[in-house]
Amino acid sequence: MNLRQSFKMSMQSLMSNKGRAFLTMLGIIIGVAAVMIMVSVVQGQNKAMKEYYEAQGTNKITISASTYNGMDLTEDIYKYCLSLSDYVSGVTPNGMAYINSVKYMSANTQNNQNMGSPNIYLGSDQFSICNNYKLAQGRDLSYLDIKRYNKVIVLGSKLKEYLFQAQDPIGKYVALDSQYFKVVGVYAPIGGDSNSEMASSYDYLNYVGVIPYSTSRFLSRGYSSFSEFTVKAKNAEAVTMAITQINGFLSGKINQNNGYFYVNSPNTWQQESNKQNTMMSLVLGGIAGISLLVGGIGIMNIMLVTVTERTREIGIRKAIGGSRRSIITQFLIEACVLCGVGGFLGVVIGFLGTVIAGKLLMKMFLLPSLPMTLGAVAFSVLMGVGFGMYPAVKASGLQPVEALRAD
Amino acid sequence: METMETKLIDVQEVYKIYNEDEENEVRALDGVSLEIGRGEFVAIVGASGSGKSTLMNILGCLDVPTYGEYYLDGHDVTTLTDQELSRIRNREIGFIFQGYNLIPGLNAVENVELPLIYQGVRGDKRRDMAMEALERVGLEDRYDRRPSQLSGGQQQRIAVARAIAAQTPIIMADEPTGALDSKTGEHVLQILHDLNKQVGTTIILITHDIKIAKTARRIVQISDGNIIQDCPREEAVF
Repeated sequence: MNLRQSFKMSMQSLMSNKGRAFLTMLGIIIGVAAVMIMVSVVQGQNKAMKEYYEAQGTNKITISASTYNGMDLTEDIYKYCLSLSDYVSGVTPNGMAYINSVKYMSANTQNNQNMGSPNIYLGSDQFSICNNYKLAQGRDLSYLDIKRYNKVIVLGSKLKEYLFQAQDPIGKYVALDSQYFKVVGVYAPIGGDSNSEMASSYDYLNYVGVIPYSTSRFLSRGYSSFSEFTVKAKNAEAVTMAITQINGFLSGKINQNNGYFYVNSPNTWQQESNKQNTMMSLVLGGIAGISLLVGGIGIMNIMLVTVTERTREIGIRKAIGGSRRSIITQFLIEACVLCGVGGFLGVVIGFLGTVIAGKLLMKMFLLPSLPMTLGAVAFSVLMGVGFGMYPAVKASGLQPVEALRAD
Repeated sequence: METMETKLIDVQEVYKIYNEDEENEVRALDGVSLEIGRGEFVAIVGASGSGKSTLMNILGCLDVPTYGEYYLDGHDVTTLTDQELSRIRNREIGFIFQGYNLIPGLNAVENVELPLIYQGVRGDKRRDMAMEALERVGLEDRYDRRPSQLSGGQQQRIAVARAIAAQTPIIMADEPTGALDSKTGEHVLQILHDLNKQVGTTIILITHDIKIAKTARRIVQISDGNIIQDCPREEAVF
């Protein structure tokens, strides 16, 4: 008996018991694929969330303050926040202009089937700092623009692309509804790799424009005051300090009787969502672990159910000349082929499943994590080989007549 | 006739004892001595539970005696390793079991080929030898059937073909006709007789049926683990 013959015999045995072979492989395939897909999806989601938050800038503080009597706090809040220069690197009102369309020559955002109307923000000269925009071309809004009610606009990369394609937009005029604004600058696209993860969400972050908040007065539905502000803190520790200070300031101006306010940071939402994602990872990881275990038990079951049948088979093989070694070799090869093919199919299905799940669920390109894949394959293969070998190890040591008597 | 040294099978004072020294001690073989020469056709006859199957299992190296000596072709079987015993079961002794013992997952010709695979016979030659053996038992047209698709008689003939294909010098048959109708039974017996005459295969036939035992040239009768009669069939008394 050489290896070649052992191999031949293993294959013959596998082919003659396709049902058993398939069921065993199914356990491995499901276990491996489930672990790969579930863990990858959660990891992908975590990564995408993190990137999305980071693209919009970290260490931001959102202030929302309103009074019932119409008292205008815009300048007070703006100035107070700027005075916290130890903690704060930028402040901007966070208002959105109610604009139906932005036009340049024949390009009209009302005709944009995909994106619709862009977000036009009413910002300060620190809008870009607060929201993580970087200037690509021209200049940013300036303090004087605000002071002098200059009708100027800085375009996000997607909006520039839609209105101007390859042309140079600087110095040209775009119409916000009936008002003409001069383009002074263009922001670089944010969201980095725009052809991958959450690409369409990033598109919306780039399909924007910013005008000085003071020009609100020219718009048909402008603001007289702003209730929302975005503050950029210098670092994560400064976020907490600034929130405390601003809270103190606002509680001096607003109480339960004359209005409401809240000061919040996406940092805390981020932490919250991180916590949730960790929870989710644990839960899904647990489910995946259970499917792996169930797959393993499935393998064990199939193998153990056939022990009697296989013990008789081993008895027959011994009676007609199979040695202990050749029988163990045969069973080992059988188990390895089963687990190898099963593991391979599991990885292929897990890989495809991960990519498809990424596309369908998150519109992003996901890849399974290597350590998880290896761990799942190792576990399943160990189960398969272990229980595949079990009858051989147990029965091949018996006298042939004892193995033949098995029932 | 052969001399002592060249006896093919030489069993001396063999015991097979289950649960020794306990209350439920069973002596399946109680000191059996037996010699069988090359080319003999021996029937071991005895009632159910007499120990004849136990004797065959020991003669066929499927089981080990509790005590006693067994020389096969001059070699002390009790000292052999698993590898060496496998080789003997593969190349020296062919078995035909009462319960057929075919592997259910393999078809007829694959079952017949099995001992040849362990012998290391390859490819077409192996298939030819297996088909030849199937022809001999008249089942060449059923070569691709699984055991479950064959009748009991056909399965037993497949088992006979498996023993023939291995071309071993000894064939041991345990109640080979037990589950067969008389016509098929005769056919199987005829095959064994032909092998014995044409090829010189030593045949050891285990049976409870005196009629069948009487087709053998030599009859060994066993009862309660002891040989009570060992003589040519002409002299046998029942």
